[in-house]
Amino acid sequence: MTDSQPIRLPTTAELTVATPEGVLFRLPLAAPASRLYAMLFDTAIVLGAVNGVGLLVYGIFAKAPGFGFMVVTLAEFAIGFAYSALLEGFWNGQTIGKRLFHLRVIDQSGLPLRIDQAWVRNLMRVFDALPFAYLVGGTSVLSSRLMQRFGDRVAGTLVVRETPLAAPAEEPWSQQKYNSFMDYPAIAIRLRRAATPELASLIQDALRRRNELAPYARREIYRDVAAYLQNEIASFPDELVEMLSDEQYLMNASGVLFGTIAGRRGDRK
Amino acid sequence: MILDLQRFQVQARPRWTQLETLLAALEGRPDRRLSPSEAEQLQELYAQTALDLNRVTHGALAHDLRQYLERLVARAYAELYYAPPTASEIWNPRRWLRIFTAFPEAFRRQSRYFALSMLITVLGCALGGLAVRYDPASVDVLLPANYLRNPGERVHEEEKGQSRHLPSVQNEAAFSAQLIRHNIEVALLAAALGVTFGIGTALLLFENGVLLGAVAVRYTQQGFGLFMTAWLLPHGVFEIPSILIAGQAGFYLARLLLRRSEDRNVRRSMREWLVLVSGLAMMLVWAGIMEAFFSQRHAPVLPYGFKVAVGAAELALLTIYLSLIGQRKTVAEAAAGVPSESK
Repeated sequence: MTDSQPIRLPTTAELTVATPEGVLFRLPLAAPASRLYAMLFDTAIVLGAVNGVGLLVYGIFAKAPGFGFMVVTLAEFAIGFAYSALLEGFWNGQTIGKRLFHLRVIDQSGLPLRIDQAWVRNLMRVFDALPFAYLVGGTSVLSSRLMQRFGDRVAGTLVVRETPLAAPAEEPWSQQKYNSFMDYPAIAIRLRRAATPELASLIQDALRRRNELAPYARREIYRDVAAYLQNEIASFPDELVEMLSDEQYLMNASGVLFGTIAGRRGDRK
Repeated sequence: MILDLQRFQVQARPRWTQLETLLAALEGRPDRRLSPSEAEQLQELYAQTALDLNRVTHGALAHDLRQYLERLVARAYAELYYAPPTASEIWNPRRWLRIFTAFPEAFRRQSRYFALSMLITVLGCALGGLAVRYDPASVDVLLPANYLRNPGERVHEEEKGQSRHLPSVQNEAAFSAQLIRHNIEVALLAAALGVTFGIGTALLLFENGVLLGAVAVRYTQQGFGLFMTAWLLPHGVFEIPSILIAGQAGFYLARLLLRRSEDRNVRRSMREWLVLVSGLAMMLVWAGIMEAFFSQRHAPVLPYGFKVAVGAAELALLTIYLSLIGQRKTVAEAAAGVPSESK
């Protein structure tokens, strides 16, 4: 099945997962910039939390600032690591910042990450943050096919983009009742057999997006596609083609490729 | 296979919506457990949607639809193939107490990496010690801080400073926190530097060894051997082994990454690293407490002999803990020699 798929270079980095059932699906990887924003946001939260804890603790230990300092130092340290590790571990790969920027950490196999993976990737921050400003981690992300920092490489995780997706809206366009191409069944069948799925989809797509295209672009595209079909795939008689606009030509061709109503009409003839 | 996208969508949309609803319900549940009928329904909808995805991928140019289906299939795949731990599993105290036995077990399984980090540290010690012994000029390079160069002053200060230090248990508390934090950071770095194929780990251990050797020889040369032993031993017996274990974790990680393709169970191997790091962090907490509250008190408050004895007792306990607690290696494990792959 995969062999028949045309080789198409991904426009953005993505993870391709092959499930045990032989289904392939792709997950878009997170862009470095959005990861950076999410991290800055999380850092702000951690700083806020640490300062909050600090104020509270120094309030409680007002008479013993040394103990207060001890608690704050250790709390700060623990929160710094635990914030991301715990949230990612228990919240299915998301921290508050990641949720805000629609990112999620997942296992390399496309499955949710596990709690120990969350800890490993976050403990490895001490290395990724070297020598300053996450230079090592950033370089690793930019040079890695799966956009992994070292923590991700070790833990076997990666960060995917998860923008909410709704099902594409249905946009039915009226199927015409009469298709003049069906008057020439031999040519119609040739068109049907010679057209590749890509070509068929291209025609369908061009017609479906009629109103999105600027008039001149639409004219040009329809003319090119119609000319290609007429000259390269299946030539309908000139006297018929001359009477049709390019758009009508494509609607007829689409009717031949997909339609059953038009097909039945042709059969009856 | 040319797909009539319009008709296809009209036919298939109900099952996509159904799958979406089911997934939303599951993802909203804290334990994400499926009832048998739900599992069956999920499996069926997943199979159908996966088939739909295949048809869209190979039969049409519909990017939006394909992306939508991919997302849907990915979510269903995750629900079907991943069993998250339940809340009762996560909060089970026995699970957490397991770390106390898992740590020595992991330590023994990976003992050869411990031996390697010990070897590198000893080499560093020897170099540092010999340099200070035979080339006094090297002292300035190897021991940057003044108190390390001139033990006499430091010892005098420490012993004189007793009265000044003593009442401030609070200072000691603050100091211990800083020590714990700093030591854990350094140890964690040593363990993480394994990703440099262990080179970074080795350099860090070696440098640490050089400093240790140089200080030891310098203090002994000037006749403060007992002071130094009493000063360093009570916390050093935990601090130094924990740095060695950090090196062990680092080398283990390096080895793991180098032979990742052979290793059938990377996840379990990663856990081993995590266990070693957690264990050494616990050791460093103890070392930090000892260093702040015990090591800094000198004679006459605490006799040096007593401090050394405490250090020796700690070392004995640590040795017993690391070598005896937890399960022994199974025969199969020892024979296989590939502990990370065995259960």
